[in-house]
Amino acid sequence: MEVRLEGITKNFGSVQILKEVNLVFPSRKFVTLLGPSGCGKTTLLRMIAGLEEITAGQIVFGDRVVNRLAPKDRNIAMVFQSYALYPQMSVRKNLGYGLRVRGTVSADVDAAVERVAKILEIDHLLDRKPGQLSGGQRQRVALGRAMVRKPDIFLMDEPLSNLDAKLRVTMRSELRRFHLDLNATTVYVTHDQLEAMTMSDLVAVMHQGVVQQFGTPAEVYSRPANRFVAGFIGSPPMNFLTAARRGNEAEAGGGVLSLPPLSDDATKAETVVIGVRPQDLEIVPVSGNDRLKGKVSLIELLGSEKLVEVDFVGVRVLVQVRADFPVKEQSEVFVHFNPDRLHVFEAESGQSIVKRATL
Amino acid sequence: MNSASTLWKTVKNAMLYLILCVVTFLICFPLIWALSTSLKPKSEIFATPPTLIPHNLTLENYEALLTGRQQYYQAQGAPQNTGTTPAQFFTRWFINSVIVTLGSTLISIAVSTLAAYSLTRFRYWGRSAVPYFSLLGYMVPSIIFVFPLFLMMVRLDLTDSLWSLILGYVCITLPFCMWLMWAFMRSIPIEIEEAALIDGASRYQVFRQIVLPSALPGIIAASIFAMIVSWNDYLFGRVFINSIDNLTLTVGVMLFFEGTHVDWGLLMAASVLMTVPMAILFMALQRHLVAGFGAGAVKG
Repeated sequence: MEVRLEGITKNFGSVQILKEVNLVFPSRKFVTLLGPSGCGKTTLLRMIAGLEEITAGQIVFGDRVVNRLAPKDRNIAMVFQSYALYPQMSVRKNLGYGLRVRGTVSADVDAAVERVAKILEIDHLLDRKPGQLSGGQRQRVALGRAMVRKPDIFLMDEPLSNLDAKLRVTMRSELRRFHLDLNATTVYVTHDQLEAMTMSDLVAVMHQGVVQQFGTPAEVYSRPANRFVAGFIGSPPMNFLTAARRGNEAEAGGGVLSLPPLSDDATKAETVVIGVRPQDLEIVPVSGNDRLKGKVSLIELLGSEKLVEVDFVGVRVLVQVRADFPVKEQSEVFVHFNPDRLHVFEAESGQSIVKRATL
Repeated sequence: MNSASTLWKTVKNAMLYLILCVVTFLICFPLIWALSTSLKPKSEIFATPPTLIPHNLTLENYEALLTGRQQYYQAQGAPQNTGTTPAQFFTRWFINSVIVTLGSTLISIAVSTLAAYSLTRFRYWGRSAVPYFSLLGYMVPSIIFVFPLFLMMVRLDLTDSLWSLILGYVCITLPFCMWLMWAFMRSIPIEIEEAALIDGASRYQVFRQIVLPSALPGIIAASIFAMIVSWNDYLFGRVFINSIDNLTLTVGVMLFFEGTHVDWGLLMAASVLMTVPMAILFMALQRHLVAGFGAGAVKG
């Protein structure tokens, strides 16, 4: 089912949490609301669920406005960050509660519970209480409780954040697989850009109650709309250099760099911010065009790669190279800035001014 | 070296247990003495030297209380049926105490649970101040309330009825019960309720099926508190009730002192019988009590 958010605004007292959010989640897509804590993403999810009142705007499921509909009448399911299992009920009862409370006959409830438990491989835990389960098992029960009712829309509020790192990786792919099986629209909230990138069809990057960019993971990664998105997505984070622009060149870090083609209305911007990912920089032995001379101040080994911190005049940049790349601390190096890999933002507004080639 | 330290450990433990035993004995002695006296025949109660374990065990005191037989006057060789004796009313008082205790506890718990739910789940003016004021109310000694309450009971024409006691005990137990339930309810994560709302439950179903079971330890803790206060109260029973039929145990038992003679055996048997229900209740539920007060303490 398609979910449309039209001009959604939320105030808590005099504080504006969400400002005119307009988004369309196509039917059966896995959509992620991504942003740092306090950006309003959970509030937005709770408004979709009907747990939070809408100050202004409307939420539409399919062709039905659901603003005034109680949560139970929206045919949604939600997985909470804390799992929110009913502590006094067994796993079986937890899974079946939503069906029982809606008056499903008990034989059908049992069948549905068994089916979901089997899919999630928790059928051996059905008679335990939530307190007797591990974090990963609780997670599965919470998922199962959401799946058992066959909802139109599946809402998840940071469901993986309480799991250990290893389990998180396996659950990521499982969640993605469940989504494909379920045939429901999934709205997923996270502050973890890796989760957003790996699982989603579409990502809405949010900051301070405003949607900064809405697109596929590839789009937000390779063509960030503004400086916030550029800095938030990608690990290690993007390097930023403030530069004085002259035509299609810019002066930064004690040298001159060529810029990628800029949009036509960008001609006024004299001070720009150049963004470049550590993976897109190269350490080269000799001087040349688009190369800056710097000094290696620190090397961090990550495993198969290493991060090299290079100091230029007035700016410090991270370069990611292969672990066996020959470079020493305190040595002088040249770093190549490939113009095609540069992102350019207007210094004041932070908006990208790179001319976008359509993908 | 090693054996010396083991020895020291043993000695230390032994001393610790000795101290514990002495303290426990001191605390329990009145109860033990009451139990012992209640099981002695009259001749042995004032025997010198006193006996802790009765030489001649007898249940006559209990029998007198529970059957209401006028054993006291007969023992004096006086003519029978010369008047009423406290022992006659013991079972009546016991039942009164039970009614009053259960009645006031039920009302207190029902009101405080609903109030706490509202205070922790809904937003309205003054909701954060109510729990603190209610705790303040509990800190005021009940003697301050007793006369205004008495005047109210007169107005309501409830004096000398068990209702006056039930309502009076609600007045003194409700504030603390509410504070306790409030602290407990705050520790129940709201997501559980939201999950149930999404699952399809109505507000009432959420309260009945999700909140109440989760709040059970708190409810038990608050109930025990309310029961102990109501069961042990003397003041309200003394002021509100006039007729001997409507007395509760605490006030009624005092009548054993009135008259020319104190029958210590009966008095002690009555004390033991008064203590037993609370002791059983406490032992059965103390596990929950700790959990309940604990949750309140951490979150409150």
